[in-house]
Amino acid sequence: MVKNYLLEILAVVAVLVFCGLFLYTSSTMEGAEFAGSDNVGSNLIAELSGKSVDSFTPLIPQYEPPSGEIESCLFALQAALGGIFVGGVFGFWLGQKKSLTETKVNQ
Amino acid sequence: MHIMEGFLPWQWCIVWWLIALPCLAFGVWQLKKVMEKDREALPLLGVTGGFIFILSSLKLPSVTGSCSHPTGTGLSAICFGPWITSVVCAIVLLFQSLFLAHGGLSVLGANIVSMGIVGPLVGYAIYRLLKDTSVNIFLTVFLATALADMFTYFTTSLELALAYPAEVGGFGTSFVMFMAIFAVTQVPLAIVEGIVLALVFKYIVALKPDILIRMKVFSEAQINKARGEA
Repeated sequence: MVKNYLLEILAVVAVLVFCGLFLYTSSTMEGAEFAGSDNVGSNLIAELSGKSVDSFTPLIPQYEPPSGEIESCLFALQAALGGIFVGGVFGFWLGQKKSLTETKVNQ
Repeated sequence: MHIMEGFLPWQWCIVWWLIALPCLAFGVWQLKKVMEKDREALPLLGVTGGFIFILSSLKLPSVTGSCSHPTGTGLSAICFGPWITSVVCAIVLLFQSLFLAHGGLSVLGANIVSMGIVGPLVGYAIYRLLKDTSVNIFLTVFLATALADMFTYFTTSLELALAYPAEVGGFGTSFVMFMAIFAVTQVPLAIVEGIVLALVFKYIVALKPDILIRMKVFSEAQINKARGEA
């Protein structure tokens, strides 16, 4: 029983440990802002090149989400798209498997 | 792992684009061939590609007090190889640079190289190394996906260190500094990603083992053994 669900159990434990680590970090670490590592990287670039972050302007003009809300909306859209693919295919396979076993039984 | 638009000198943008383009072209050609050969491969691409969409949109907090996102590319690399994976990644990264200001058109080449090429290539190499050994296939999937994730960030650090060598210590010092930001943050994420994708693979094995056998992802004996265990 335990062996059959080993991966599931591991996954749950890993996620729980991950959440625990987050709670621990956010409550003990000072100055933990949880900004994106992309931005932290950009700050380091500015530091290394001796220019301010604002002096880096896009080489090719680009659209920027006007607020964090719009940004998270678009990210959610991206995840939803992926979720539709994954759920759709798993459902399709499940149906395929079911109809296959049914034809076998009927023969 | 996104390099922000404007943060990479144009010379380097061109270099990474030149590396990325032939890989993408080869990926498109391979994809066409796989689809002609076996229409059943399309749903599998939907699942593995779907996870790239999902996982790369999740920005998770990590132990360094900053956030980063997993890549999800390993599973696709195992099933379809690194080149087709880079095509899927390019689509995700294009979406993010057009609508989310994550990355941009000039740095897209560099971002494709890190997330779409080097990461999947490393994952695929690990998978090929372990494929015909007695190593449990789920462990193989775990290692391939976790390391594909890690090496994506490794590559981003490399790309940035090459473009911005430190005044004192040059490339090496910069590389260590970028690694401290990107790679350290990524370790816990990569581990969780590896376990989650191994679990996903278990469900693919349970539902659609025949496609994995036909595409020679793993041998029939290995799949059957895993099904006995799973």
